[in-house]
Amino acid sequence: MASQTLTSSMQPTDVYGGDEVSAIILDPGFSSVRAGFAGEDTPKSFVSSYYGVNEGGQVFGDDAIHNPLAGLDIRNPMSKEGIVEDWDTATRLWEYAITSRLTSFKQADPRNNGLNDDLKDLDVEMDGVEEGEKPLEEHPLLMTETAWNSPKNRERAIEIAMESWGCPAFWLARNSVLAAFGAGKATALVVDVGASTASVLAIHDGLILKKSIQKSHLAGNWLSSQIRTLFATSEPKVELVPHYTIMSKTPVDAGAPAQATYRTYEKEVTDSFRALEEERVLTEFKESVVQVWTGPGRLNSPMQAGMTNLEYAKSQPGRVFEMPDGYNQMWGGERFTVAEGMWDERAALPVAGEQPVQKGQTISEMVKASVNAVDMDLRSQLLQNIVVTGGTTLVNGFTDRLNNELTVMYPSARIKIQAAGLTAERRFGSWIGGSILGSLGTFHQMWISKKEFEEFGSSVVEKRCK
Amino acid sequence: MTSHDVRDMLDLPGEAAPRPIKKAKLTGPRPVLKGLAREVQNLGGDNPIAIVPETTTFKKKRFGSRKPAAKWENQSFRNSAREDETLVLKHWRRKAESPAVAPGDEGTAAPNEVKLEDSTFAKYNVKVITAEYNDEQYQKHLLSEDWSRDETDYLVSMVRDYDMRWPVIWDRYEYQPPAITLDPQAAELAIVTASKPRTLEDLKARYYSVAATMMKVHKAPETMVAAEYELMEKMASFNPQQEAQRKLFAEAAFQRTREEAREEESLLIELKRILARSEKLSEERRELYARLDAPASTGNIGVFTTSQGLQQLLQQLMQADKTKKRKSLMGPDGTSPAGPSGLNQQASFDRRDSTVRGESISGPSGTNNKKGPSQGQTERRQLSAEEEILYGVRHFDRITSSGPAFRAERINKPITSKSSIQQQKMLSVLTELGIPHRLIMPTYAVGEAFDHLLTNINLLLEQRKVTEKIQSEINTILAIKKQKEEEAESKQILRQPEAVSGSGDVKVEEVEREKSAAPSINGRKRSASVMSAVSESTKRQKK
Ligand SMILES: Nc1ncnc2c1ncn2[C@@H]1O[C@H](COP(=O)(O)OP(=O)(O)OP(=O)(O)O)[C@@H](O)[C@H]1O
Ligand SMILES: [Mg+2]
Repeated sequence: MASQTLTSSMQPTDVYGGDEVSAIILDPGFSSVRAGFAGEDTPKSFVSSYYGVNEGGQVFGDDAIHNPLAGLDIRNPMSKEGIVEDWDTATRLWEYAITSRLTSFKQADPRNNGLNDDLKDLDVEMDGVEEGEKPLEEHPLLMTETAWNSPKNRERAIEIAMESWGCPAFWLARNSVLAAFGAGKATALVVDVGASTASVLAIHDGLILKKSIQKSHLAGNWLSSQIRTLFATSEPKVELVPHYTIMSKTPVDAGAPAQATYRTYEKEVTDSFRALEEERVLTEFKESVVQVWTGPGRLNSPMQAGMTNLEYAKSQPGRVFEMPDGYNQMWGGERFTVAEGMWDERAALPVAGEQPVQKGQTISEMVKASVNAVDMDLRSQLLQNIVVTGGTTLVNGFTDRLNNELTVMYPSARIKIQAAGLTAERRFGSWIGGSILGSLGTFHQMWISKKEFEEFGSSVVEKRCK
Repeated sequence: MTSHDVRDMLDLPGEAAPRPIKKAKLTGPRPVLKGLAREVQNLGGDNPIAIVPETTTFKKKRFGSRKPAAKWENQSFRNSAREDETLVLKHWRRKAESPAVAPGDEGTAAPNEVKLEDSTFAKYNVKVITAEYNDEQYQKHLLSEDWSRDETDYLVSMVRDYDMRWPVIWDRYEYQPPAITLDPQAAELAIVTASKPRTLEDLKARYYSVAATMMKVHKAPETMVAAEYELMEKMASFNPQQEAQRKLFAEAAFQRTREEAREEESLLIELKRILARSEKLSEERRELYARLDAPASTGNIGVFTTSQGLQQLLQQLMQADKTKKRKSLMGPDGTSPAGPSGLNQQASFDRRDSTVRGESISGPSGTNNKKGPSQGQTERRQLSAEEEILYGVRHFDRITSSGPAFRAERINKPITSKSSIQQQKMLSVLTELGIPHRLIMPTYAVGEAFDHLLTNINLLLEQRKVTEKIQSEINTILAIKKQKEEEAESKQILRQPEAVSGSGDVKVEEVEREKSAAPSINGRKRSASVMSAVSESTKRQKK
């Protein structure tokens, strides 16, 4: 804590805006749940949103869900739009995220200390400890939500916080607003490309402008599906083999078939488990190989004398990627094509069982639509305060391309993009903003207190958290 | 140098007493050193070198002086800025020195506790003040065809909720008129028709008009503070059309294509260049004028008014020129030219003036006469008749009694010689005619014309004075006449008492009409005369 380095005579005064009340910030996303104490710079608890189900019940956390032996069926409580679908599980998942790293249920709580495996026993004791044994009695909770969260979902969130977890105070903030705060801005155009959704929306003085909300599915999961298509249509076809199937591998030349010994499991591994593990390989691929064509122009637009940008890109040195089974290959122009669909709907690779990408779903078109939906006087200010956040914006060249597209689109406006340089800050942008907000002294007056919740009911959240 | 010498110099008493004692001290408690320390000690022999002694008590001391670790406690506090003040949060604070209250309560909101610290941040809770009105005031001042009471209420509440952040208000504005349920069909109709889309300007215009009206209602504009009044003015004069227009322009500018943007940029650069050039030009011109302008001479020029004086001046000039030449031959560090400094200054000015003139003369004729006046009168150029007119050269048979004078002075004389009131009048006539008070290019011809104009103006003012006088005389005489007539009439009325009710009213009316007509006619007359006089003078000026 910073205050420890201060001399005893220098108690933090009100000029320094922080006043910690050990609030907890909970930022659930489609791919992961981030939780931690306000005032810290990264979330202490980072848990996959995926959970496993088998005969024994649900398991949470990366330690448990990647176990191929357990015969887990992998699910996600979030919907394709990045909002909660399965509330019961989501509650348990968040509880896990909070109690595994931050606070804990009091010793006697039987559900999490692992002492009670007998379910009958659990019920009996549950009754006894119900009163006053809630995990967050000491901590105000600041939770994030997407801008398109439904009113019902919002009420549900406060009910869980107040009734199940016993929070003394609660607040529900939009994750895009927090991402802007995290970048130090109260007025901004936030471009958030996460796992399930890519969204663009305008924020004015810390309030989202509802008419400016634009979202599409061209985010991390979509990018994964593009890579899958790329693998499947390559000549020869590239096999996507997750790590857990490999016993050992021997190095092979580029393009040569893999030489590996495979593991076999007694119990059949479920498809969803395999998909989860494949996703991990794909994320590696995204991190190390995928590249966005930074411009000028589109990937398929002509460059000079009869040459397209793609042809130029192909002539540049490629990147080698080695699969878990040892198969490796040089990826040249293809590493550009997978991400191009985010910007140019015609360049998107067709994905089986999905609608072709629409023009309005591309990032640049979303920015345009969003900017057009706000008051004229705000527009140029917004373009000067573009905040880029979310894990998928980490693909190489993303911000450069965004900048290029926007300067072409608005030649006379000044474009300024603010993208955190550190990977963690980009991925945890909204959590960090929450951490800042939650530790501000002036924020104390905002909290919805337990009393207010009891007085006005769960609809208070609609009234207060605008 | 020994201490003895020092004492000697400082006049201190001779051999100091403590000396032997010092020696003894030195030899006495000599510390027993080991290792390197002893070696170093030995280097100095009996005169120990100043080495900061190693103190072993240092660390101990620090430990000794250290206070026990500061105690912190998780204090409860509240925030008076909250609407619900029962929320008690906790933060870590230095424990107060005196053990005042035992931290007994655990999280339970305790309103009965003696005093809970208020958050230092409560003071930052600032709310905007929005317009308020009641039913009666609304009916009286705020009725509008376009806005229902309900929607106005909604608007004001939005403004309050969003602290006047207009883009947000407009973004979230979703007014649903209350369904008036007389019968189901009508209700449906009402919903379909009533909720009309509002632009940001509509919202602002309505709110500002409401707010300005209410400000006026609550407080008379005369009693408002300047800031309040300004705010009210600003709100009352809000022009939605203009604002919308402005936004339209802004949008057009925002949506320019690359080519347009580039073109505009290049145009802007061009404009900047032109401006810079014109600035430079006007700067140069101003400088030129400053040179052409006669500076207010500090010295007395009376000396030079006689021909003798002029001769002397010429002599001086030649002298100055010669010394200057010599000086330039001698180099920059030559002696300064001789001569009384005041006259020298005068001379140098004249020189400068004449060179400028020389250059301007050389312009049209083509040859560059760099030698200028240094050549003296012998080689004076012969000007053609045209050029003479051009440069305003005139020849006199003999110098007039008043001697030479600056033209500028002469031109301004008719004005400056008058009283300040008169001056003011003349100047105002000049402004009315659009003629600068100080002529920009006072050539001879212009000067003459100006002179003429001034005499005419004088004449005009003079005449006006006379007309006014005559007018007032006429007025008094008219009044006297009227009085006499009235008296005569009243006598008549007295003679015919039965006619009072019939024609009396009419008469009075007539008199009144006459009365009111008289001054207006006068006024018209006067202004007409001024107008004609002025137009006359302008005609003359044009000629
Ligand atoms: N370095 C990287 N390069 C490319 N993609 C990455 C990188 N790191 C993470 N990702 C992708 O980012 C996504 C996760 O981003 P993020 O944590 O912002 O999403 P989320 O907030 O959980 O999801 P959502 O916002 O849709 O609810 C995953 O799809 C992951 O594959
Ligand atoms: Mg996210």
